[in-house]
Amino acid sequence: MRAPVSHRFVRLLAGLGLAGALLLPALALPARAADEKLVLRVGTSQDLDAMNPFNTALVTGFEVFTLNYDLLVNWGGDLEPVPGFAESWTQSADGLTWTFKIPSGMKWSDGTPATAEDARWTLQFVLDGVNSEAGYIGLGYIDYYLANAGVTEITAPDETTLVLKTDRPNTQVLQMYIPILPKHVWQDQTLDTVADFTNDVPIVGSGPYQAVEWQKGQYVRFVKNPNWTGPELAADEVFIQIFKNADTQYQAFRSGELDYSSVNGDQFAALAGEANVVTVAGVGNGFTELGFNAYSKPIEGGGASTKALQDPAFRDAIGYAVDKELLVERAIKGFGEVGTTHVPTFQTKWHVEPTALRTFNIETAKQKLEAAGYVLDGEGRRLDKEGKALDLRLYMPDSEEYYATSAQFVQDWLSQLGIKVTTQVFDSGTLTTLMLPPEAGDPANKADYDLFIWAWGGDVDPNSLLEIFTCSNIGSSSDSNYCSARYDELFDLQNKAPSDEERKGYMAEMQQMIYDEAPYHILFYDGNPIAYHTDRFTGWKNQPASNGVPLFGYGSYGYWQIKAVSAATPAPSATSAPIASGAPTPAPSAGGGTGGGGSDNALLLAAGAVAVVLLVVAILLVRRRSGGPTEEE
Amino acid sequence: MSLRYLSRQSLQALFTIVMIVLLNFVLFRMMPGSPERILFRNPNLTQEALAAIRERWGLDQPLFPDQFFAYIVATLQGDLGDSYKFIGQPVIEVISERFWPTMILLGLGEMIAVVVGLALGSYTGWRRGGLVDRVGNGFSLVFYSMPYFVIGMPLIIIFATGLGWFPTSGMFTLGATYDSFLDQLLDFLHHLVLPLITVSIGLIGGYSILMRSSIVETRSEDYIGTARAKGLTDARILRHHAFPNALLPVVTLIAINLGYVVAGAITAEVVFNWPGLGTLTVDALNARDYPVLQGVFLFLGISVVLANLAADVVYGFLDPRVRR
Repeated sequence: MRAPVSHRFVRLLAGLGLAGALLLPALALPARAADEKLVLRVGTSQDLDAMNPFNTALVTGFEVFTLNYDLLVNWGGDLEPVPGFAESWTQSADGLTWTFKIPSGMKWSDGTPATAEDARWTLQFVLDGVNSEAGYIGLGYIDYYLANAGVTEITAPDETTLVLKTDRPNTQVLQMYIPILPKHVWQDQTLDTVADFTNDVPIVGSGPYQAVEWQKGQYVRFVKNPNWTGPELAADEVFIQIFKNADTQYQAFRSGELDYSSVNGDQFAALAGEANVVTVAGVGNGFTELGFNAYSKPIEGGGASTKALQDPAFRDAIGYAVDKELLVERAIKGFGEVGTTHVPTFQTKWHVEPTALRTFNIETAKQKLEAAGYVLDGEGRRLDKEGKALDLRLYMPDSEEYYATSAQFVQDWLSQLGIKVTTQVFDSGTLTTLMLPPEAGDPANKADYDLFIWAWGGDVDPNSLLEIFTCSNIGSSSDSNYCSARYDELFDLQNKAPSDEERKGYMAEMQQMIYDEAPYHILFYDGNPIAYHTDRFTGWKNQPASNGVPLFGYGSYGYWQIKAVSAATPAPSATSAPIASGAPTPAPSAGGGTGGGGSDNALLLAAGAVAVVLLVVAILLVRRRSGGPTEEE
Repeated sequence: MSLRYLSRQSLQALFTIVMIVLLNFVLFRMMPGSPERILFRNPNLTQEALAAIRERWGLDQPLFPDQFFAYIVATLQGDLGDSYKFIGQPVIEVISERFWPTMILLGLGEMIAVVVGLALGSYTGWRRGGLVDRVGNGFSLVFYSMPYFVIGMPLIIIFATGLGWFPTSGMFTLGATYDSFLDQLLDFLHHLVLPLITVSIGLIGGYSILMRSSIVETRSEDYIGTARAKGLTDARILRHHAFPNALLPVVTLIAINLGYVVAGAITAEVVFNWPGLGTLTVDALNARDYPVLQGVFLFLGISVVLANLAADVVYGFLDPRVRR
């Protein structure tokens, strides 16, 4: 019998087991002692895609670049224009020329002087992108702000003056989500190269914090800009940490590892009453809709299953069978508001409530359907005007659970009208390909759907949401394929309106129109529940004050409002172990709240217990019983 | 070990790798959804802009032969392309950043699981029906059938949030400054404890169950009876006669599992926010990041094949019968 190999193997195993057992207590050391730095940790579920502002398509990317860079004009607490890269501005009498004053002596974070020339270079670069053959720059998420503002000419007559000329008087010049970049870092970039430019850290910028480290999929670390001229910044460093799992993120927040975090409805409720925690039920700048495929031409092998979807009367009738209040209560757990028009209530300045609101009533819906010519057959099935029983496909993406929840309700309500609905969930990419009409240019695009539940998020300016329903967007962002000459005309008029009052007038008609003709039923304005700790930072300000949240809003406003809790003696909250108290400076404990003296003993005990268990197992394996006969080998 | 045996196994492995490379291309093109669309639910993106994006990434070319040959040539040159999601970043770079976190977590997890699993399995198999067997086997079955997040989340809630002994997630304490490398290492190990326990517990069951049944089978062999007749102690029979023979099927499992180490443990990594290849795979899948997905799968395929090759070789050492 050969056994030496297994002998060694067994011993090796045992040795490893022992080593593991002995190592464990060492692994279980408490987190390191407090640092001198004051660190703000923000948790989000959305990964960062790019450090280059032109290459980001995500909210996190916008948050990151507005920390890195100033906008020409920033947003304030109520989304009003406040000084950014420019400290002041004037509009000429004819409204076509804007003159911006750039502060003298301003510096980039690396100490290089920051002048009007930097702003001119940046905006000219973007304008070149707009005027290029492609018509965009990078991913195309930034340049259109300049295009929408109608900027035609950019000059910097001296170091502190920037002049913009526009093709029409408007105020969108003050709402451009375009970071002002340091020319000395970016000047070698061309429209061809910028799409591949990674803009590696450390970043040189003029914003409050510059990214110095980016661990992909994990976090971005920012340090305070030494040359920042805005309000005093409390945090020395900011971390934006990315979580793959909402439960883990929530646990990290509760344990104090995060100062600020987005939460879901259940977590929000669970945090109520927790010490040093504030929860904010903000409203998002966007909506979730039930949409119809109103595409008007036949598509071979695709298209909607019935022409009824093109009929405003049919869509209107369906609106009476949708109980939006119940959806807010059940689908989004009360976090959000009942939706009406496609300009969300978040945009207080532009939102106009429609006249003659529909109220939920299945009987009214039935009567409206009958009146419009959609009758029941002998088996109780609702027929379209061609005499075919309505059997609709309701699609939704997998990005939010509440789409599917909402769909179940819609399915039930429509079945009460005699309309069969089958639902299906897709990933966003597949669904987009499926829903795009032939105009999008790919043979796979056949607008092959009937109904959908999906959502949109907006800008500060309502243009991006208004634009969804223009005819020219069929094949790109129009997922209802709605088209109306009057709507297009109104879109143009509002875009060129010289005053906000006039603009809002056009917008009111547009909102009423979409509400009445109902290519979308806006189900709800999504909530934006978040939570933050107050034991290390205070002064959190919602943006806007009425219904916003402190961070991940517009620009870097929230970050300059935060103040440090002075001479921190934070009371231990229900869930976090005490952190070092009485420290002269606010002391962030590494690992946030771990490593209190009291827990050390317990920690070592536990580690010891685990070690003992492992040890016993290892001993069992190698135990040699003494005194027994041995084998002859 | 004959050279013929070795070369035959190596050739088979090489052939499998070539097939993986081919399959890799086909598989990812068959998935629904187009990559240039996933990122761009952009109200302002024109059709011209989309066309330009397709052109830039070569998506406007026909799949065969253009995209296919471009893929083969580049792969042979070790160029796996650039990530679609992380614009401007080579795939190799994206993958290598995530390699070590996964190797450490899963590699250590496997080691602990092998040690504990084999020990538990052989002991419970040897003492079948005893208290340790009933408890140990129950433990194995329960945890073997549990996904990592079911094991991991309670650990986070109890030991991180509740007791505050360990951090909830991540690899390092954010914002910490380290006095020395040792400090940093300790911080890392502190973060490693919970995910490592999770992965180990999840893996122990598989080894333990297989080892147990293998031992049970071996116990009834004639040579065990002979050893017993010679008056050897139980422990010695287990160690010298039963364990080595029962190990053979387990070696295969270990090899296969080691090959899969680079796949990461997706749910464990997600729950602990561990920046490994598992989370990268999920992210790449969601973003239709074909180049990264291809890279990850190629890498995974090759390592599984190599691990199997290694298993064949080790098998040759352990069992003279297969050595031809």
